[in-house]
Amino acid sequence: MAGDPLAFFTLDHGTASTAAALVAPVAGRFRLLAADAQPAGLPADALLGRLVDAAVASDAASVPDASSWRRWARLEVVTRPAPRVVIAAPDEAGLTAMAAAATGAGWRIVGRLRADRLDALEGTAACLGAHPDLLAVAGAHDPTTRERAALAEVTALIRAAFERRPGLTCLLAGGAAEAAEGWSDPRLVLGPAATAAGSAEPTPLGELLVDLASEVAARAARTDAPTRPEAVDGRRAFAVAITSLAAILEQRVEAVDVGAAGGTRLAAGPHGREARLHLADGGLVPHALLDDDRLVDTIVAWSTVHDDAFLQRDHLRNLALWPWRDVSGDGVHLRIAAARAALARLDAAWSSRPAPDLVVVSGGCFSVMPPGVAELLVLDTMRRPGGAAVAHDHARLLAPLGSIDDEDDRRRLLVDLLDDLLLPLGSVMVAPGSRPARHPGRVHVGGPGPGHDLPLVPGAVQVVPVAAGSTALAEFDTRDGGWLGPRARRVALEVSGGLGGLLIDTRDVPLHLPDRADRRRDLLEAWERPLWPPDR
Amino acid sequence: MTAVTMAPAPERDPTLADLVVPRPRLAPHPRMRFALGPADRAVVAEGQTIFAGEPLLERVLDAEVADVGPAGTAGLMPGDPIGPDIAPPADGAAAARLTGHGRVLYRLPDGRVRVALGERAATVASPIGGVVVEVSAGRLVLQGEGLALPGTLAAGEGTHGALVLAVAGPDGELPPSAIDVGSHGAILVAGARIDLEALGRARAMGVRGVVVGGLVSRDLRGFRASEVRQRAALHGGAPFAVLVLDGYGKRPIPSSIWAVLQAAAGREVAIGIDPPQLVLPADLRLPAAAADRVRICAGAWAGREGAFVRAAGRVRWAGGLESDAGLVRLDPLEGEAAPPDALVPLADLEALS
Repeated sequence: MAGDPLAFFTLDHGTASTAAALVAPVAGRFRLLAADAQPAGLPADALLGRLVDAAVASDAASVPDASSWRRWARLEVVTRPAPRVVIAAPDEAGLTAMAAAATGAGWRIVGRLRADRLDALEGTAACLGAHPDLLAVAGAHDPTTRERAALAEVTALIRAAFERRPGLTCLLAGGAAEAAEGWSDPRLVLGPAATAAGSAEPTPLGELLVDLASEVAARAARTDAPTRPEAVDGRRAFAVAITSLAAILEQRVEAVDVGAAGGTRLAAGPHGREARLHLADGGLVPHALLDDDRLVDTIVAWSTVHDDAFLQRDHLRNLALWPWRDVSGDGVHLRIAAARAALARLDAAWSSRPAPDLVVVSGGCFSVMPPGVAELLVLDTMRRPGGAAVAHDHARLLAPLGSIDDEDDRRRLLVDLLDDLLLPLGSVMVAPGSRPARHPGRVHVGGPGPGHDLPLVPGAVQVVPVAAGSTALAEFDTRDGGWLGPRARRVALEVSGGLGGLLIDTRDVPLHLPDRADRRRDLLEAWERPLWPPDR
Repeated sequence: MTAVTMAPAPERDPTLADLVVPRPRLAPHPRMRFALGPADRAVVAEGQTIFAGEPLLERVLDAEVADVGPAGTAGLMPGDPIGPDIAPPADGAAAARLTGHGRVLYRLPDGRVRVALGERAATVASPIGGVVVEVSAGRLVLQGEGLALPGTLAAGEGTHGALVLAVAGPDGELPPSAIDVGSHGAILVAGARIDLEALGRARAMGVRGVVVGGLVSRDLRGFRASEVRQRAALHGGAPFAVLVLDGYGKRPIPSSIWAVLQAAAGREVAIGIDPPQLVLPADLRLPAAAADRVRICAGAWAGREGAFVRAAGRVRWAGGLESDAGLVRLDPLEGEAAPPDALVPLADLEALS
């Protein structure tokens, strides 16, 4: 086996941290041998060397010719801060449609130009001073005369800025493309009209904007790191991997990836991708956090930390400056609050869809919280009646695997690694509608082992241990009916075990939290406390 | 460019370099960026050498939009400067209708030209000497002489002055009462934190800038708002800036940075806003930090410094979470007997060498 060329590394270069994994063939199939992460900016080779050392120390036979590791293949993806766009449209409706498409494709909007209320000074300052990567003009499919006139003026402003700033790309969508007459430039892109759709809804303009975001990211990655010119856009690769995973499992899979500077939520089924949302503000510590007190306060509202709000604001802003720090003190709890707020922002931009079979969580923040708390975050922010298994992309393998071009190769590797790449956190059940005045109902979670029989507590989260790797039958029984979506007195579901166990949630959908900060904090703490190891 | 004469940087401990994020080092040839608004005008050209205090650009304070032409505007292009003393290339017809200075924004579909111009302009002077390396739409970039000490945040307007240590140590605080006219023209080092009242008093006393370890975000927002009001006034006053070296809240200045500031005390320095930095004299002789120096940035030991002893492997912390840790031999505080070695998450450490 000496010099076996099949051992390889995966590297996920995030904005805050770099995750790496060592994968090699063991007994005829690929296995994950070691994985770790470190703050971005530290040398990646040192991390890879430590992975090899760890794998050799664990089982030297599994690592053939370890001394040659520097020559092993690397699957690399890079995630960069969100690209910036100035959007323009003839009216508010056009602006809203373009904003939905752009934010859903991962762009950060740094300027909005409404043609019927155009401020030439502000517009020019946004195009030149806010350092956008893209100027995007939305026009209706068939613009009216008034819209045409408005578009002509705003396009004149956009074109002037475009010609003064090398490196910009300009997108003329729908009727705005009429302004392209006599305007020829390789950086000018014509696209389909913006339509009134949610950010997560697949639209032709949304797909084009995703492509343009990937191009910008690839250009920036080549400039920043010329040594890894082939590194693929991490968010896009993650989406590809989730689609392949859903096909392999033949299940509906939802995935959330909360990075430091952006977030992604995806839905895929056995027949392909169903929805995709890349949100610049969906990150743990979005850029706006440094200046926007309202955004910070939406995070503080989820916090269980007992400090004054203004101290927490400063603490959160320091977390935005150094997202890898403070992994053992109050920073852990603020990071959990920030992750909840990020998931809530992703959920607010998401379209309602049927409950998935499996929820995959990814991102460095989930590695520094107890498994049960990660499950609770899913329950708090992705609330739908029903149940799902929850798993963690703990080694951040999915995005690098998604960078493999060939679908068959990718699926083969995913099948081999399926037991290793997803860490089972457990299962979650949302069963709203239970009221103290009514018969609350009972649940019996059977085998393996003696099983658990317990009364349901209205408005609470209950934890039932179900071991990782095992499944159990959860039987719900109530006089009132109305469980988990379908109206029935008895419902039985198979649930997967995991490190956090089965979480049964009888709280309302949507979740209602008290307005008073201290009561809200106490309630959040009460829900979270059973999920922490006892020495907290 | 002046040669840099500084103590050679020590070789980083290889283990430390692989495991612990380094604090950004001093860097030669600092670059400063200056934003250009739609009506603003650079008064220097690319490649031009300038000295500290020389004008860089004119910032139009009361910019408004006007439409001119189409007659006499045939040669005007977006970005062209325009005003009574700058006739459009074709003929002077359009200029006759303009008062003040500004720039061409764009040409309207009907052939007229939309311009931004105003009558009140403030001259922005360069805080450092150097060469203009870029004058483009939206910004001007200067490559200066000296050494850049990177900061985390900055607000105000680029400025220069003599550096004065206004507190006794890196963890001191500068109260408003300690600032008087004796500090006129100086850049004060204010220790671990300064509040909004002290910043206002410093500006009123003619201080040119403040360098501080940390600033509460509420005070930073208040300072930015007051700067906007100050610049909009008829006489904006001398430029004033605050540079935050570390982060939000109270943050003692790291000892290695404090040593650099001590070495630069009394010398002419400059604060840059974009990126945030303190520009020190190029011929400064700097003390070298030991290769194993680290600072603890978060957790129970936050703010303490010491020597990195070794990596301590995976450690389980209170709450059951695990992370890689390192052992740090803490520097004793004043009056403290030999402190115990501290076990600290590697992610919470910062290498100072």
